[in-house]
Amino acid sequence: MGLFTDFYNTVAKFFRPQEEQLESDPSKSVATNRLKLVLMQDRTNLTPKVLEQMRGEMIELLSKYLEMDKDMLELNFEQEGDQVALMLSIPVIRAKDEEEIEAAMNSDAEESEENDENFEEDEANEEADIEDSTEEDKPKKRRSKKVTPPEEMNNNSEEEHHEEQQEVFENVEG
Amino acid sequence: MAGRVIVITSGKGGVGKTTTSANIGTALAKEGYKVVLIDTDLGLRNLDLLLGLENRIVYTIVDVIEERCKLKQALVKDKKNPNLQLLAAAQTRDKSAVNAEQLKEICDILKEKNDFVLVDCPAGIEQGFQNAVAGANEAIVVTTPEMSAIRDADRIIGLLGPKEEIKSTKLLLNRVRPSLIKSNEMMSVDDVVEILACPLIGIIPEDTGIITSTNKGEPIVNDEKALAGQAYRNVAQRILGEEVPFLDLDEPKGFVAKIKNVFAKLKAKV
Repeated sequence: MGLFTDFYNTVAKFFRPQEEQLESDPSKSVATNRLKLVLMQDRTNLTPKVLEQMRGEMIELLSKYLEMDKDMLELNFEQEGDQVALMLSIPVIRAKDEEEIEAAMNSDAEESEENDENFEEDEANEEADIEDSTEEDKPKKRRSKKVTPPEEMNNNSEEEHHEEQQEVFENVEG
Repeated sequence: MAGRVIVITSGKGGVGKTTTSANIGTALAKEGYKVVLIDTDLGLRNLDLLLGLENRIVYTIVDVIEERCKLKQALVKDKKNPNLQLLAAAQTRDKSAVNAEQLKEICDILKEKNDFVLVDCPAGIEQGFQNAVAGANEAIVVTTPEMSAIRDADRIIGLLGPKEEIKSTKLLLNRVRPSLIKSNEMMSVDDVVEILACPLIGIIPEDTGIITSTNKGEPIVNDEKALAGQAYRNVAQRILGEEVPFLDLDEPKGFVAKIKNVFAKLKAKV
């Protein structure tokens, strides 16, 4: 019996070699993705909840400067010897122009030191000629941001994170 | 010059640590190097079976440690190759009969008079693993392209990383099935290497010959025709510092497969 079915399968495959491969569920990629996620947790001891929150905040931060494919964001920890490196990969659709960045900065109340450092670097690169004036400008911008903390936005984004977290849990279980 | 002490480990059981130890050991001995294999899987010894030496074991590693015999007396010579010797595990004792310092001491003595000391590590990450790793300077992590084995290998690589005595850690991918990789049902070699970020020392194809060779108590490296044997011989060459290309497992073998391949290529062109 087994011999016969083997033979049949071989013959059958012979006539449809490529389509079958494409149609079949690529269980390999499911395995790869599940593994990457679980290893990330193993290596860092971060829970899926924390990771998803991190992911959300990173998207939020980078969205100020870049228009990107958020669904394709890949967050990964790679281990080499005793060092763990954070690898972040996002397909960038385009970089935002200065006006958009400034608009995002003004509307955004959240302030972190990292943001400012990035901002300073960007500005310094683009306006290297007029260094003196930018240095005077920046403190004002910072102050204006501190003044307007819209709490509603924070609440909203937290709810969003919550939904995403649940999705991740489902994925892990499935 | 002192020999090299290499631990063969995996975390998960059943991925082929013992088979790998037996085959690499035999392959190195065939090249003329003096090799000692140490089975550290106390209570679950198997290396003697794979080498066909189960009837020759008189003393075990526990007898050496508890000074019931000299180290030399416990070393069992291989049937075919006197360059290869086995220090068997005790079958009636458990992992607590030995500690890390004792095992390191044995490795240190053995490496003085041998080119290679291969330590076959038990599954798990507990005492048995810590013991096996204690005397080693190099590690080979055996895994298969399955999720659980890869996860455990990652854990092991993570545990080996901080150990200063372990100068190099290499990955050996066992039981690879090219047909399943082709149909996207098994992770490819590249996938595994990328995920684990560990340099590769060998790719061993799934080979039914392993079963018959185990039945006979004869490592598959002695079978010149077997693909897995060739793959293990290549691993031994790489351990010796030779640059040997990895076996090309992609090309299907056999008449039907070859014709299918031609058709597939034609179709790809269209």
